[in-house]
Amino acid sequence: MTLSAAPGLTQARLPSWRRILRRAPVSFHIGAAILIVHAAVAVLGPWLAPYGISQMGTGIPLSGMSWAHPFGVDQLGRDIFSRVIHGSHIVLLLALSGTGLGVAIGSVIGLLSGYVGGWIDNIVQRLLEAVISIPFLVLALLAIAAAGPQLAGSPLLVVLVVALVYAPRVARMARAAAIEIATRDFVTVARLRGEGAWSVMRREILPNASSVLLVEFALRAGYAPVLIGSLGFLGFGMRPPTPEWGLMMAENRALIIISPITVIGPGLALASLVVGLNLFTDGLARLIGRTAPRNQA
Amino acid sequence: MSAALGPKLVEVSDLSLAYLHEDRPLQVLFGVTFSIAPGEVLGLVGESGCGKSTVAYQLLGYRPPSARVLSGSVRLSGVDLLTLSRAELDRLRGNRIALIPQNPASALSPGMRVGRQVAEVLTAHRRASGGSAPKARAAELFEAVGLPEPRRIGRRYPHELSGGQQQRVAIAMALACGPDLLVLDEPTTGLDVTTQQQIVALLAELRRRKRMAMLYVTHDLGLLAQIADRVGVMYAGRMVEVAPTGILFSQPRHPYTRGLIASIPQIRPGERLGKRLRGLLQRDELPPGCPFQPRCDFAEAACAAELQVLEEAAPGHEVACRRWRALAPPAAVPATLRAEPTEAAPLTPLLALDSLVVTYRAAGSVFAKPVAAVRGVTLAIERGETLALVGESGSGKSTVARAISGLLRPSAGQIRFGGEPLAGLLRHRPRELRRIIQYVFQNPDASLNPRMRVGSILARPLEVFFDAAGADLRGRIARALDDVRLDESYAERYPDQLSGGERQRVAIARAVVAKPALLLCDEVLSALDVSVQANILDLLKRLRAEHHLSMLFISHDLAVVREIADRIAVLFRGELCQVGPSRVVFQAPMHPYTHALLMAAPSGPAAIARPVEAGEPGPLRPASGQGCPYAGRCAWQAGAICEREPPPWLEAGNGNRIRCHLSLSELEARALWRAEPRQVEGAIRPAEGRATP
Repeated sequence: MTLSAAPGLTQARLPSWRRILRRAPVSFHIGAAILIVHAAVAVLGPWLAPYGISQMGTGIPLSGMSWAHPFGVDQLGRDIFSRVIHGSHIVLLLALSGTGLGVAIGSVIGLLSGYVGGWIDNIVQRLLEAVISIPFLVLALLAIAAAGPQLAGSPLLVVLVVALVYAPRVARMARAAAIEIATRDFVTVARLRGEGAWSVMRREILPNASSVLLVEFALRAGYAPVLIGSLGFLGFGMRPPTPEWGLMMAENRALIIISPITVIGPGLALASLVVGLNLFTDGLARLIGRTAPRNQA
Repeated sequence: MSAALGPKLVEVSDLSLAYLHEDRPLQVLFGVTFSIAPGEVLGLVGESGCGKSTVAYQLLGYRPPSARVLSGSVRLSGVDLLTLSRAELDRLRGNRIALIPQNPASALSPGMRVGRQVAEVLTAHRRASGGSAPKARAAELFEAVGLPEPRRIGRRYPHELSGGQQQRVAIAMALACGPDLLVLDEPTTGLDVTTQQQIVALLAELRRRKRMAMLYVTHDLGLLAQIADRVGVMYAGRMVEVAPTGILFSQPRHPYTRGLIASIPQIRPGERLGKRLRGLLQRDELPPGCPFQPRCDFAEAACAAELQVLEEAAPGHEVACRRWRALAPPAAVPATLRAEPTEAAPLTPLLALDSLVVTYRAAGSVFAKPVAAVRGVTLAIERGETLALVGESGSGKSTVARAISGLLRPSAGQIRFGGEPLAGLLRHRPRELRRIIQYVFQNPDASLNPRMRVGSILARPLEVFFDAAGADLRGRIARALDDVRLDESYAERYPDQLSGGERQRVAIARAVVAKPALLLCDEVLSALDVSVQANILDLLKRLRAEHHLSMLFISHDLAVVREIADRIAVLFRGELCQVGPSRVVFQAPMHPYTHALLMAAPSGPAAIARPVEAGEPGPLRPASGQGCPYAGRCAWQAGAICEREPPPWLEAGNGNRIRCHLSLSELEARALWRAEPRQVEGAIRPAEGRATP
């Protein structure tokens, strides 16, 4: 009758990460599986791909789908499937580092601005709003134009542009989190010790905002490949012959009637990455929401 | 007692229930059995986590999805609620059984006018239908629960009402269908003392008029003395003692009940009855026998092995303790005035407030008139002295502490520390001054960073104030933990792995490691359980002695203040009413507001018979800064002069100063409160006896 008294019935406690994973929603697992496949392809790409990055004459140009060329062959006779695989790490690295930089800059600006408050916060917020009001593609093109021709086509520029687009949006989220956390008494205690804004932000506020920022990172990372692809498509991102997916779609778009798979192939790769990242983010957000400390009844 | 005989309205028998907690069943109720007769009030008391709320929700047929009933039944007029379908329960709930929740702010829908919320209950149970009938009935209910302007208040949204008014709306909602049984889950816990007293008076009056049965769940035993016919004491999911209220207080049989009663802070001077509770309920380490055995002062080895069941100690008095015969009921301790050291000759006070004024500007508007939260407060704290600041919520107590700490800048007046003026803003104060004044907050959940280990939390002040590092730092952290009687291993834990009392200990340790001269304690006990409160109070007293601390102790609880303070200052709406040594403040003559506070405080067995206004206090006068702040709410008001002229300070002797227009002799004549302690039993009246005029 007494359940808790019978030791045989009580399950041994699983290690904490396994318990957390068991509670994760399905979307988290599916998203994680897709991302693992993408990561594996990115790392093992050169060994997996049947042909080289710019190897020409692999088949009859524009011959369409076949077992030898699942994504077809482009005008120059390059195997699109191999190029998609070779490009995988480029897309992933650009997306993650651009997002990472954007979240880092945005967090610092947002957390400090939210904690300090007052007129400083007001000015910072108006500036951020001004930047956010510019559509992100226009903002990205403005930044690329301003950077000048020396940097054009460099991966660093793409990373900086992604960061520039995301930082203000992340900053607003971070600020909202900081304002909520700053009202708690432990922040007041730190102020009473005479600690400066930087120290309070780093020690007291950032650890408590980390779950918000983590979700923010994952969410933004999910859209970054699209942004990078758009830039590539418009010819403002990476330069040919880089096997960046958006750029490949742009290169082959004239041929879309003759051999649609050359455009759809890279598009599928991009779409699966974005879907994977979004499912993962959605699951992560719900997981964090559920594992947050609950009130004791 | 009508309770013992006659048909029962509610019969709970052998109820056992478990929660599935992280895939592991955790049993929270063990064979709980009790009954409630029609029109009877049963109080259910125990520390948090004892299962009392779980029992209460079973009477509503409510179980969270993770709960599993292992055995037993819950019968309402013979029908087992545990077997009813959802639809059948829906017909009962709100109709024959109603709940008054702990927090009305979250129980009322924020986007719906309160009148409609009450009308909704009526239409749902088809007690009133059509156009204006439900609204008219709602207005009647609002009148019955003493809300002002019952016809108009229904148009308000919950956030436009005060906490007390919200609870009255929740009560009106519960009463709407004239239920047979009211389940009250800590209905006054979130309210301040005066409001709490009004709500309890209202409940007692409603019960007399409507003859409803009630299950009153609370951790506050003192409150039950005023309303319950019988009290059931729960511990670790078991009922350990059930007795009529008067008997329970005068002859508690179970050691746990005795500990609970002894843990009630006493306003009246005198020794406590017996010893307080020690230790904490540790669910993981319960012996197979009596769950209270590890904390029991009377335990024998056999107690741990043998399961205790309720047996009748006297008619209507059941106790689950195998040793109850061996334990003589504690004798009523003759109450004597505590010997207090005579005050030393005044030196330079450690801290002096001189006509302190703090104003807030209403947020969001540059043109809003600043509101004075504290007006003209002049106070001093001597070295080694504990000064208590007492008043209801919103009286400006915390504002004073915040101004001293530098969080708020005074708009006028001066704060002097050790004779030197203190800079208004924190950033203008040198490190030494920031160290020497330390602040302990009300709620340790909020004042400890949940993402920091206890060790890091304690390390910060040591690093900032003493530049401590390495082995020196670790040694100091260990000593700090030892100082508040926590094990060294706690340094590795996160705050959410600690109990509420342990968290408050860490918060206190963090303040004390800075080696302060002045400790500002802002309601440090009010978020804690009664038994934990007693422990923390003892801890503060010991630290005060060991570290030669002066304290500003802010509280709304006069009983706690009586225990720790050397002097008491009473604050009302930002102005001082009375200042004096604590043993004198509780004697006549006293300020009318101090008197009202004392009369409103639930002080357990010593609660005295008195008529209490069940109505909501009248609207507060706009604080014009003229006249007496208490004018308009004062029962002893002298006349128009109270509203026109600020009252003078009267010297009542022994350092007792009162600010009132009435003369000392008039004040003395009006006070109903008497400092002479009565015999404890003599003070207990059964709730019914009091209810009849």
